[in-house]
Amino acid sequence: MLPAISAFFGRLRSLFRKRRMDREMSEELEFHRERLREKYLQEGMSESAAERAARVRLGDARRWQERLREVWSFRLLEELMRDVRFSLRLLWKSPGFTAVAMATLALGVSANTAVFALIDSLLLRPLPVPAAHEMVVLDLLEDGSRPGTSFCTPFFRSLEGQSDVFQNVFAFVNDTLQVRADSGNVSVHGVMVSGQYFAAMQVKPLLGRYLTPADDKEGGSPSGFAVVISEQFWKSWFDGASDVIGRKLTIANVPFTVVGVMPKRFMGADPTQQPQIYAPMSADPIIDAPRDHLHGGTHAWWLTVMARLRPSVELDKANAALQAVSTSVLLASGGEPEWIKDEEMHHFRLAAESGSNGFAYVRSVFRKPLLTMFAMCGGLLLLACLNLASLLLARGAVRERELATRRALGATRARLVRQLMIESLLLAALGTGLGVALAPMVSHALAAMLSGGNGPDSMVLDASADWRLYGFAAAVALIASVLIGLVPALRATDGDLNEQIKNGQHAQQRHARAKLIPRLLMISQVALALILVSGAALLATSLVRLYRTGLGFDPHGVVNIAFSMDKQQLDGDQLMEIYRQIEVGLKAAPGVKEVSFQSIVPLSHRNWNGTYSTPGGVRQLIWLNSVGPEYFHTMRIAVEQGRTFTWSDSKASGMKIILNRSAAKRFFPKGDVVGRQIIDHDKGVYEVVAVVGDAKYRDVRGPATPAGYVPIQQDPQKKPSLNAVVRVDGPWAPLVPFSRELAARLAPSIPAPVIRPMDDVIDTSISTERMMALLGVFFAGCSLLVTAIGLYGTLSYTTARRTNEIGIRIALGARRLRVMMMVFRENAVLVVIGSGAGLAVAVSLSTILTSFLYETSTRDPWILAAATVTLVCVASAASILPALRASWIDPMQAIRAE
Amino acid sequence: MIREDSADSGSLLQGTLEMLVLKALARGPQHGYAVAEWIHHVSHQLLKVEEGALYPALHRLEMRGFLNAEWGASENNRRAKFYRLTAEGTKRLDAESQRWARLSAAVAFVMQSS
Repeated sequence: MLPAISAFFGRLRSLFRKRRMDREMSEELEFHRERLREKYLQEGMSESAAERAARVRLGDARRWQERLREVWSFRLLEELMRDVRFSLRLLWKSPGFTAVAMATLALGVSANTAVFALIDSLLLRPLPVPAAHEMVVLDLLEDGSRPGTSFCTPFFRSLEGQSDVFQNVFAFVNDTLQVRADSGNVSVHGVMVSGQYFAAMQVKPLLGRYLTPADDKEGGSPSGFAVVISEQFWKSWFDGASDVIGRKLTIANVPFTVVGVMPKRFMGADPTQQPQIYAPMSADPIIDAPRDHLHGGTHAWWLTVMARLRPSVELDKANAALQAVSTSVLLASGGEPEWIKDEEMHHFRLAAESGSNGFAYVRSVFRKPLLTMFAMCGGLLLLACLNLASLLLARGAVRERELATRRALGATRARLVRQLMIESLLLAALGTGLGVALAPMVSHALAAMLSGGNGPDSMVLDASADWRLYGFAAAVALIASVLIGLVPALRATDGDLNEQIKNGQHAQQRHARAKLIPRLLMISQVALALILVSGAALLATSLVRLYRTGLGFDPHGVVNIAFSMDKQQLDGDQLMEIYRQIEVGLKAAPGVKEVSFQSIVPLSHRNWNGTYSTPGGVRQLIWLNSVGPEYFHTMRIAVEQGRTFTWSDSKASGMKIILNRSAAKRFFPKGDVVGRQIIDHDKGVYEVVAVVGDAKYRDVRGPATPAGYVPIQQDPQKKPSLNAVVRVDGPWAPLVPFSRELAARLAPSIPAPVIRPMDDVIDTSISTERMMALLGVFFAGCSLLVTAIGLYGTLSYTTARRTNEIGIRIALGARRLRVMMMVFRENAVLVVIGSGAGLAVAVSLSTILTSFLYETSTRDPWILAAATVTLVCVASAASILPALRASWIDPMQAIRAE
Repeated sequence: MIREDSADSGSLLQGTLEMLVLKALARGPQHGYAVAEWIHHVSHQLLKVEEGALYPALHRLEMRGFLNAEWGASENNRRAKFYRLTAEGTKRLDAESQRWARLSAAVAFVMQSS
């Protein structure tokens, strides 16, 4: 080992063995003294003379210890520890400043860390499978449209055999399974997977085996259908029984055999879903009965397809290989010739993109809001740092005399800068620590807002901490400490030593540059705050407009109760009879005013459309829903002409349809509408019995789409699962047990009905806007608070420094109002300049928000003016207190204090 | 970070003292008193090693890995701290004595020139 290195370790060791080394040193010296004494005795000295001579020669024991300790003492580290202790004492002595600084930083850090945790979990974290970088997601490309990620069965089956570039090609689809429990059927979150799914994942099962291509055969393997379950499901459903392999699960009233249990860390190919049951894709006709996507040919686009590349294959090569087989896949699909020709014309081709963090549909939805949010958080953190920097700067100015004295006593500038930096590093570390501690709370709240409740289709965001998060937090702390500490530390220690000591407290006769930095800091703070506030104002206004926009129906007090009827025995009139009884039952529930049914809940992202035409006219696409009697009254949709449906509108009574205003205008621009006919693409004839008001169907944003309503008795589905629409007066919670009981009595084999208030559906449908607006307002509030603290703190410090100057002014007859204005003006100028700059930047930056805004211009003068006025008011409020205090200074006391 | 502190090292330069200490220990493990006595004796009473310089030198050499120290029994059967050359220390002694030979020869040439 090099001498220097071994000396370093020696010193490090000695730090922890001080006491023992001290003791040994004394013993060593004592031995030496003893030997000297013996030598003197031998030389003929008297006992006492020898004793004295030895003592004199060795000298003072304490001086010895000092000298030896210096050999092994660790100067740098010990000084550092002394500095840390000193800084802690200083911070402790000004608790107000410390608390404000820590809270400010913690606010910035927790917001940043929380958002980063979400970004990490949604966008950065790789799938927890071996060699995740080999995973790819397959896309369908066409000219001019966004890549599609939904595949039909024939496409997937042709690709499954592609083994030139892929080790495995697999497909999956998230689904809700009806599993038989003691109490009846229960909905369980699951996924249907193709044969090579688990082979591609390469994660060993905890128990048993995983599903193989043999399980993905039509009708299951010879021993019937198999399923793999999650560890969580194994524990909750089977109580963690060790003999779970081979046990049966009844899904959709058909027995499935449990063949394996997957460990907890495995979460499938979509990191935002945590399926409890993995069933083979070939079981779709059973699981989704009466629907059958598996045999839907090119009409059912239901699969997400991923693949694992061969180890040495690059993405480019995979893409080339996919492009080469695209046409043959298309031709082999068995699609209608017209459609194939159309696809070929649009340059249909297959492609692969990196899938190392799995496929999550929500990623495409949330990438932009998350990144925008991250930028807002970054702005807030920067604001917090600027604020702390100006506070420290002001504090440094107050400590000028102390620092100058220390320099005069021989401390080097580097030493003082180091000490001041340690102070800011400590502040940053404490603030970051607090922020990181708070972050999980914030990120849970954000994740809850993003995932939109606990519905069966809601997503799971794993925002738990990992090394990326800790690295991020550490980086934030480091950057923050440099940002907040360096300038003040350099400023506080520069300048002319003599000047500072002579002038002491009122050393303000320094050159103009000295005042420039703190002012620039304050100005950028105000500007940054204004940017955040105006952004928030835009988002909030847009949200309010979104809520105010006419939905076309009144959602307040309406709840949807979903009944899953598709797996029970009855259909046709018998099933309708059940719905009738449900209607009667629900009407008897407490607080219920009206009851009806609909098959599609508006704004719930479930859609149904079809093309219709007037006899001899052009085909038009309209959106469809099947609804029960009293539907329009229950939803408060105006009936403009004609009559609504009744229970006697059965299939036998001739097909009926009700059009909304937009659809009616499209089909029949002139003349009466009621009583006329439209024709569907199978030449079925419908009689229009009414025209109703436009109501939003797919999206809150934008005008209502043309829509048609058919009676539930004429719903084309064999066993329609309908939502009861119930308008209640008062709380809806009692409906939960009530409807559950009702379903158990009338249709014992269906799962418990799911209740969802209409308000909740609407909130979810605009969850991105809601989240952005709520966060924007939150950040704006924080930045206003931080700015106020900064302006107040800095002005208080600078005013405190001028106490005797102001005292003298007052003693010489300056009026107190003038004094107040003089102090107030200091901030007012900064605020005006800062607002101007902020406004300019805000206007140029706000275009980023355009895609989140609804009917709101990014340059709306009223909104920008309101934001500016708010900021100026807050800033004035923060400046008035120090100004008032300055005007109350007692001249006698101020001068005497000098 | 080695403090060059010559306030109490008497007439010996610090580097030279360290070299002498290493030389003293080349004969075998010794305690501090024996090292001082040996140098004093071998130099025909010309070099007197001050305790104020000896012990810091010993500790410094130990810290830099040239010496090992352990407690043992002295010739009069008392507990004493014995220092022993390490392999690094032996190498250091060689290097130092070569450097010293060159230096003293050079100084001698200068002093003998006319």
